[in-house]
Amino acid sequence: MHFLKLISTFLKVNIQMSLAYRADTLVNILLNIMWLGWELLGLSIIFNNTTTLGGWGIGELIALLGVFRLINTMMASIIWPNTEKFNQSIRDGSLDYTLLQPAPSMFLVTFSRITIWRMWDLLLSIVLIVAGVRMAGDVATPLNILTFLLLTVSGAIVLYSLWIVLIAFTFWFTKFDNNVTILQALLDAGRYPVSVYPAWVQIIVTYLVPIAVATTVPLQALRGDLSLGRVLIFLAVSVVAAWAASLVWKAGIQRYSGASS
Amino acid sequence: MLNIFKRLWQVNWAEQWQYRANLIMYLLYWLVSPIIYLSVWTSIASAKGSVNGFTAGDFVNYYMILLVADQFTSNIVIHNFAYKIQDGSLSGELVRPIHPMLTNTLVNNLAFKALILVGFTPVWLILTLIFKPDFSGVTWQGVLLSIPAMLLGFIIGFLLSAAITSLAFWTTRVYSLHEFYYAVILLFSGQFVPLTLMPKIVQDIAQYLPFQLFMYYPIQLILGKLTTAQIIQGFVVGLVWLGLSILFFNFVWRRGVKQYSAVGA
Repeated sequence: MHFLKLISTFLKVNIQMSLAYRADTLVNILLNIMWLGWELLGLSIIFNNTTTLGGWGIGELIALLGVFRLINTMMASIIWPNTEKFNQSIRDGSLDYTLLQPAPSMFLVTFSRITIWRMWDLLLSIVLIVAGVRMAGDVATPLNILTFLLLTVSGAIVLYSLWIVLIAFTFWFTKFDNNVTILQALLDAGRYPVSVYPAWVQIIVTYLVPIAVATTVPLQALRGDLSLGRVLIFLAVSVVAAWAASLVWKAGIQRYSGASS
Repeated sequence: MLNIFKRLWQVNWAEQWQYRANLIMYLLYWLVSPIIYLSVWTSIASAKGSVNGFTAGDFVNYYMILLVADQFTSNIVIHNFAYKIQDGSLSGELVRPIHPMLTNTLVNNLAFKALILVGFTPVWLILTLIFKPDFSGVTWQGVLLSIPAMLLGFIIGFLLSAAITSLAFWTTRVYSLHEFYYAVILLFSGQFVPLTLMPKIVQDIAQYLPFQLFMYYPIQLILGKLTTAQIIQGFVVGLVWLGLSILFFNFVWRRGVKQYSAVGA
């Protein structure tokens, strides 16, 4: 209840801030549609030349694009803007005020900036996923849909946990401004099924920076490719990741001594 | 004038050298998308034998050379100039008797390139060990011809980016417009896929645009895949665009500077 109230306050503040730049918002939405067109054109060029990519057909690739955009929306609407704010607050010491507030600091650091217009991308993502699954002609059973949803959430939690750890490193290495670049740069790899990449890239995007866990894996569940055992492993991994991230965050906060104060 | 360039080089090199830690991060960004496209296309080509005449090996060669061509033809004008118009810090440069864009910004781009090359060379060599491109088709004539082609590509790209960045004299913020321009490059330069695999209409238009000079044209020159007629046509189109981009940049710049109101300064 408490958290919902806080989130709705953050939403209100961010809507007000974005209303100051209405033209910008409109241009951004147009650009967003343009990129969607480009991505679909890219897929159509690929599938003009082949019928399967990494074992998947065009419908499945469109659904994967939807899942990718879902994750990308989370990153672009919440994670990146808050990273910027967080890094700024470490530099100028304004993190002090965040820590003094009577709410968990990890929560405040995660949600204080929200890029509102990005939310519309959620709608597009869902349309892509539904259309893609239909095109693929897969019979998605209710159980498959349920595991798909669970694994999308757990994949998002894994990436979120990695992000918390990366920004928490700033407490130890103050000049670590590039803390999230590796996540940003590799995110694009999530557009395609992980099976198309060479083995060493697969290892990086599955274990090191587990983007595949949030994109390829949920879609495998939707296709019914995953055994129950593996689904449970992925769910367990996300719980462990979230727990480990909160520990690292706490240890980091302990180290924080404030800048310029 | 030579002295001015020498001094600007010292300043800009020192400035770029400060950010050498960011080099690794920049290299990471620059590597990811070509490696993704390389993987996608080699996986298709090895499943089917070849795609429209391109074997898996051909795609590896193409994207490995693309990494090099992109290094030489790209620029960072928007990152290094747009904010100066936005926060008014351009004023100080405008009162100097030299052209801010064609001296300071140009030299800054070159210093950035020089620094990047230091990190780029070992990374590229490691990648050639991993992907094992076959450069037996590369000829000396091709490499020699690609140098003026990439130079042309760099100058045209620099002038077009400079002109688009200068639109900030009117709009203050110009990043959205630049993003649109970037998408056009992505479509017509051959970055996503060798242009011959693009839909026919894209290929036809790309022939008359300058963007293939950034990647596709120099790559194919180096790999020795162009006929003499195609080589001549590429250079002619490039020279025409060189003229057009000089006119375009001059037009935007002259009017823009008059429009400039030194926000915040």
